[in-house]
Amino acid sequence: MSFTTVWQAFISGLLNGAVYGLVSVGLTMIFGVVKIVNFAHGEFLMVGMYLSYALWALLGIDPLWSVPIVMAALFFFGVGIQRFFIRRVLNAPDLAQIFLTVGLSVLMMNLALFLFRADFRLVKVPYVDWTFSLAGAIISIPRFIACLGAIVFSLLLAFFLLKTDIGKAMRAVAQDREVSMLVGINPDRMYNLAVGISAALAGAAGGLTISFYFVFPSVGVNFVLIAFVIVILGTLGNLKGAFLTSLIVGVAESVGVLFVGADLGLAVVFVILVLTLAFRPGGLLGGA
Amino acid sequence: MATGQEKDRRVFRRAGNPEVYFPPLALLVLGILPFILPVFFVHILIMIFLFAILGSAWNLIGGYGGQLSLGHAAFFGIGAYTSTMLMRSYGLSPWMGMVIGAFLAVAMSLLLGAICFRLRGPYFAIATIGLAEVLRLLALHFRDWTSGAIGLTIPFKGSAPLLFQFTSKVPYYFIALIFLWLTLWVVRRVENSRLGNYLLAIGQDQDAAEAIGIDSARAKRGAFYLSSFITGVAGTFYAQYVYFIEPDSVFGLGLSIQVALVAILGGVGTVWGPVVGAVIIESLIQFTQYAFAGTIYGLEQIVYGSFLVLVILLRPRGVIEWMQKIYSKWLRILPGMYASGS
Repeated sequence: MSFTTVWQAFISGLLNGAVYGLVSVGLTMIFGVVKIVNFAHGEFLMVGMYLSYALWALLGIDPLWSVPIVMAALFFFGVGIQRFFIRRVLNAPDLAQIFLTVGLSVLMMNLALFLFRADFRLVKVPYVDWTFSLAGAIISIPRFIACLGAIVFSLLLAFFLLKTDIGKAMRAVAQDREVSMLVGINPDRMYNLAVGISAALAGAAGGLTISFYFVFPSVGVNFVLIAFVIVILGTLGNLKGAFLTSLIVGVAESVGVLFVGADLGLAVVFVILVLTLAFRPGGLLGGA
Repeated sequence: MATGQEKDRRVFRRAGNPEVYFPPLALLVLGILPFILPVFFVHILIMIFLFAILGSAWNLIGGYGGQLSLGHAAFFGIGAYTSTMLMRSYGLSPWMGMVIGAFLAVAMSLLLGAICFRLRGPYFAIATIGLAEVLRLLALHFRDWTSGAIGLTIPFKGSAPLLFQFTSKVPYYFIALIFLWLTLWVVRRVENSRLGNYLLAIGQDQDAAEAIGIDSARAKRGAFYLSSFITGVAGTFYAQYVYFIEPDSVFGLGLSIQVALVAILGGVGTVWGPVVGAVIIESLIQFTQYAFAGTIYGLEQIVYGSFLVLVILLRPRGVIEWMQKIYSKWLRILPGMYASGS
């Protein structure tokens, strides 16, 4: 196995990893703020992909231009999911919370199957084959744009959480719900916002990848399983951890596939998870 | 002499109490049903028994112990693949394969325990998903042994009880019923044992349980042995019943979810909860599959998903309490007399 092959796999892994990161920061933020593990997170991405596909197929809008539209739509979709479903189980047992989102996932996946059938769909853009090379590695332009987009949106999220008042209020709710209420923050609004933003980010990931990744009703499962591994390894609720871990997982998957074959890529990711948890039960960065 | 008569009368009066005579009566009805019902309904009942067994096994660790396992398909798949592969390669009877598979499932639970018992809540759930998914992907990958995604068929030998094969559904029905009865007996034994109390304590607050000296890892291991053994046995039963297994159906996340769901929907931490859950979910799934088969894509799953969301919103603690109320009302309608004071 030549160095170039590994280098190429490393670069592809980084590009994939950034997109995983965009999905994972949302998932980990929902856990951090609302304290719920969202099994339907992959379906946010799936909805984003179909929406982006529909805008292209019906109106001819390039998926990159439709990213803001998809994000806005997914934001309201996420807020709706929070207000009408998740909010009602916030005081229910953990099992009920997890299984509510499992139910939502099954529901959304099969509504998509009902509407779009099981066909694999892809947006055909003129620049799909464009590439450039970097120190011997060939980089596809659409994947590169997806990676850049993922980094930009993740940085915007960081800016929002660290620098704006609403972002600070959201972090306060994540840290201590009761105390944040004492200082006049309405946690329900922050929950809506957190789920809405997470859904919008997953939708953005969908729009950014639709030109090179097929969409089908259960596409979310592939992403959400990897995102689970990432948020666990990066310590649940830790956004920076999630993003960094997604780069590591992306590279590990991509390089691991060289050795074990493409069909075991996900297995590599899970083995990393299980081994890490065996030695560090709190994740790569976390303590306990 | 007088005391003997007194005793006879008391026994007679007890037998007249609906609380006493209804359960054996129900069992008798269950014994007659497969001979009079159409085959399709017998199939539904068999699937209900199978999932009641799986839900009860899950309930030991997930319900009493509060450890949300989403990887029970691992044990199920090991049971199904072990007996099937041993039969195909060496002609070993699946009855033997079932025992071997069950012990392999226990071995897997040891591995799972070693890695996951320190993990809590969502960490534990996702690690168990991970282990089951690795097994599924390995079963897909090693095509030479498992035929990968094509799956394995069980060679059909006609009616061969020694090979766990029957041409009629009735024997499968009774085997499943007996397995279910044994499983419920085990669950009840655990519930009334020290292990059961330890598990309940861990499920409520693991730190507090450890603080009063409960060895939580040991209690979880105990529950996992039993749970994985039963689930492995059920895996072999499934393979012998449907004559076909493939990685996605026996190792898939969908199965793990359905197993947990049966217990959660019925009511966790109760003996009868998973049974009630299995009755509801399996009837729903089988009937919708029958009604919508091949007509509209995904419709049966849409019904399943909506139902799941609705029940959790309306009864987040399961339907068992509600069912128990209905059951006691039902008993009151039945003829007979209540023994005073009991």
